[in-house]
Amino acid sequence: MHVAMKIVGTAIAGVALGLAATWFVTSRGDMGDGVADGPWRTSLVAGSLQSDPYTRARVALHGLLALNRNETIYYTATEDGSGRRLDGKCRYQISGRDPNTRWWSVTAYGGDDYLIPNAKNLYSVSATSVIRKKDGSFVVDVGGGARPRADASWIPAGEGTFSLTLRLYNPGPDVAIDPEHAALPEIHRVWCP
Amino acid sequence: MVPMSERTQEWIFWIAATILVAMMVHLGSIYLLPRVVMMRALDRLGAVNTMHVGRRPTAASRAIVRPSPDILYASCPYDLSKGPLRVTAPVIHSSYWSVSAFDANTDNYFVKNDSQTPTNTIELVVVEHGQAWPKLDAAVERVILFSPSEKGLILIRAVIDDDKHLPAVEAALHQARCGTVASAPKLR
Repeated sequence: MHVAMKIVGTAIAGVALGLAATWFVTSRGDMGDGVADGPWRTSLVAGSLQSDPYTRARVALHGLLALNRNETIYYTATEDGSGRRLDGKCRYQISGRDPNTRWWSVTAYGGDDYLIPNAKNLYSVSATSVIRKKDGSFVVDVGGGARPRADASWIPAGEGTFSLTLRLYNPGPDVAIDPEHAALPEIHRVWCP
Repeated sequence: MVPMSERTQEWIFWIAATILVAMMVHLGSIYLLPRVVMMRALDRLGAVNTMHVGRRPTAASRAIVRPSPDILYASCPYDLSKGPLRVTAPVIHSSYWSVSAFDANTDNYFVKNDSQTPTNTIELVVVEHGQAWPKLDAAVERVILFSPSEKGLILIRAVIDDDKHLPAVEAALHQARCGTVASAPKLR
């Protein structure tokens, strides 16, 4: 009886510990094993046949059906340029110039990894849709509340924490080889209540 | 060295047993997780060996995490147990178009985009290792794929680079087809 209880206790504790470890290593949304370029993080092995089991598990939860980085590079930011968690209650600006790629888009996702509901179905901006200044550069407003101005693109970000994904389709060879040092748009927090 | 008491030895045994169980559960769940996620995704995409054209993703789209609202997807969950799969699709030459293949553990084992495909249509024939090929006619651009697993997914992505191009992109994706084809009779 005494031994049986110890066996049951060992099994329960072992299963709980094992699953907790799995949750711990897969819960982070940045795909792990990645590199950072400012606030933008990207995995070097997502979607490739060389994926290790841990990367594969993270990709399945946070970036299922991703393409390899010779085809597409996905950068994800969960923080602003100063390392503060992106929060839909605050207001941000994504600013810069076109990254070196055939086509790009920036999309906001809620804490549940789905698009954030909003009245006008505004979820993203892209190389072809972003409102530009005369010199070709752009500033995109992101965050909560009402659209702050009409002469810049706008992505509403709900009320909770959110993240941004920057997708580069057919990135330039220098970006594909060294995604850590690509010239990417910056993310500034403008204000917070 | 001071001999360990029987009680201490027993504790060490049960702690070691707990750690062993935890490691097995951890490694097993890491191994199974992508396979289970992929199986569920394939189920939710619909009938196998049929092309499904998705609507433009919105906040209501919950089949796949982090969908891109600037991409239209056409998907064909496949099952090669009834024979090889043939996929034909128009190639859209604009900002970006690609056709890719994923196996049952989520690995992307094939991708080809519009700039690598000069023709206006492409044909894929997907077979498992050891599976007899179908009879092949003279397709303009054909790729033979060896699927690492019996089940998997063919996924076509087409960029919507302007809202007014949406109907044309949708129409092109609706022309894509996939289906099981009979293996060619074995040569004697």
